[in-house]
Amino acid sequence: METTISIKSLSVSYEEKIVLKDVNLSIFPGRITGIVGPNGAGKSTLYKAILGLLEPNTGSISIQGRKVHDVRKKMAYVPQKDGVNWQFPTTVYDVVLMGRFPHKRIFQILSSEDHQIAVDAMHSLGIHEFRNRQIGALSGGQQQRVFIARALCQQADIILLDEPFVGVDVKTEQQIIQILKNLSDEGKTIMMIHHDLTKVRTYFDDIILLNKEIIADGPVESTFTKANISEAFNGKLTLFS
Amino acid sequence: MDLIYYLVDVYETNAWAPRALLASSLVGIMCGILGSFVVLRNMSLIGDALAHAVLPGVVVAYIAISVIGTALLCDGLTHNECSDLLKEHHSLGFFAGSVLAALLSSILITWLQKNVRTENDAAIGIVFTFMFSIGVIGISSISKGHGVHLDLTDMLIGNILGVSDQDLWISLSVMVFVVSSIMIFYRSLFATTFQPVVAETMGIKINLIHYLLMLVLSFVVVASIRTVGVILVVAMLITPAATALLLTNRLERVIIISGLIGFAAAVLGLNIAILVDTTPGPMIVVVCTFLYLMAVLFSPSKGWVTKRWNKKKLRMALGNENTDIE
Repeated sequence: METTISIKSLSVSYEEKIVLKDVNLSIFPGRITGIVGPNGAGKSTLYKAILGLLEPNTGSISIQGRKVHDVRKKMAYVPQKDGVNWQFPTTVYDVVLMGRFPHKRIFQILSSEDHQIAVDAMHSLGIHEFRNRQIGALSGGQQQRVFIARALCQQADIILLDEPFVGVDVKTEQQIIQILKNLSDEGKTIMMIHHDLTKVRTYFDDIILLNKEIIADGPVESTFTKANISEAFNGKLTLFS
Repeated sequence: MDLIYYLVDVYETNAWAPRALLASSLVGIMCGILGSFVVLRNMSLIGDALAHAVLPGVVVAYIAISVIGTALLCDGLTHNECSDLLKEHHSLGFFAGSVLAALLSSILITWLQKNVRTENDAAIGIVFTFMFSIGVIGISSISKGHGVHLDLTDMLIGNILGVSDQDLWISLSVMVFVVSSIMIFYRSLFATTFQPVVAETMGIKINLIHYLLMLVLSFVVVASIRTVGVILVVAMLITPAATALLLTNRLERVIIISGLIGFAAAVLGLNIAILVDTTPGPMIVVVCTFLYLMAVLFSPSKGWVTKRWNKKKLRMALGNENTDIE
């Protein structure tokens, strides 16, 4: 199978402290890949490396066969809700429209086509009726959908989500996972940092168990085993007794 | 009505008055516009710092104009002719010196923040108080030495009556620069202000935008000093913007409303100052603060009084005065 993201012997360290050690990974299109691991396992650092936000010490990352900086438009990052300034003076529509920014040069004005793409993205996530609301006036689930709509509006092939279900009710969580499944059926590559181990089997096609290095990765059925989980979480986990 | 006739008379008979009106309007508008980003990016302290840090630049510019200007331009002129000639170049020289000092400070601050383990706001505080002190020492020593007119009070609270034509042209150019920068880079400014990390993943150069903003901020701060002075510039940057943020939920509107509030405060403040015969800079700031207070109380969606009033109406509509509605 052709890979979307291919990572070879990636290592990252901050001031002598090793955060990621010799990571080798292949991420495939049309699949939802979950990333789990304890706090400080380097999950966010892995994202940063893939998104080109940091320079790795060693190793290489190729995305659709090219360098990160050449495929920025194709990747959308859906950040954790916690770090967002929800008081910011902006509306659902404006935030979704941000998805068109990478496609525009500095002097180019957003066209009616750009606006149509944003409107379509809002419709497919069921937030079009809230388009003129200030983002702080939305529920947690609606806020998460705004960011996913922005990823759609960006027409990204690869979507990286960071803990999208924190502060989201169960019903919305189900809706969002369904949307992501539909997207992966269309051939998009979905990655998700996730902490709820009970949902791994139902949500993901592939799983990466990370603890500074790759403990195991591959299809959920064969990879998400007790032994691997225990190794990733330093044997501290008794959730699956 | 008498007051209005009086004001019209002031504007007709004093050459400084229309210039002061134009200068303060420009300052109100450009500070208001740029202030939206200053407030949203938590850069108030940086704005304040850059304003204070320009003083040594002014001193150096003054010495440079006196020494170099005298050497180059004053050959064969009397002392008075010479100082008149140099005065024509003061504004541009001061502007250049101030902007350089502001930029130097912002580079120093950024360097400290990135390379030394000093907290961000502490680094800002260290740099600007040092620059300010050097400036004050410099000003007091040149004024003693040469009996020249470089007044510390003018620098601190503004001297709007001393606005020259060159000052007006500089302000106008800065205004054009601010408005065009914000229009051209609007998308990048919005994205980096709202979600810097996401903006970076989109390929927006967040550092470039940061330095652009510092450059624009330096220009605006320096252009405002003649009107409101070093100490009060920060009020012009943050108060109208904070007011606008209470009135609307869209960034474009925040920018426009903030510019309008800055403009209104400048015009009102200057005229009140003329009527009661006081210093315009502080009066403009007082008007700004008054408008802010009005918004705090009566903003249609976020006002303290408005919210209470709406709650009361809701209670009445529900027909139960004791229901507790939060």
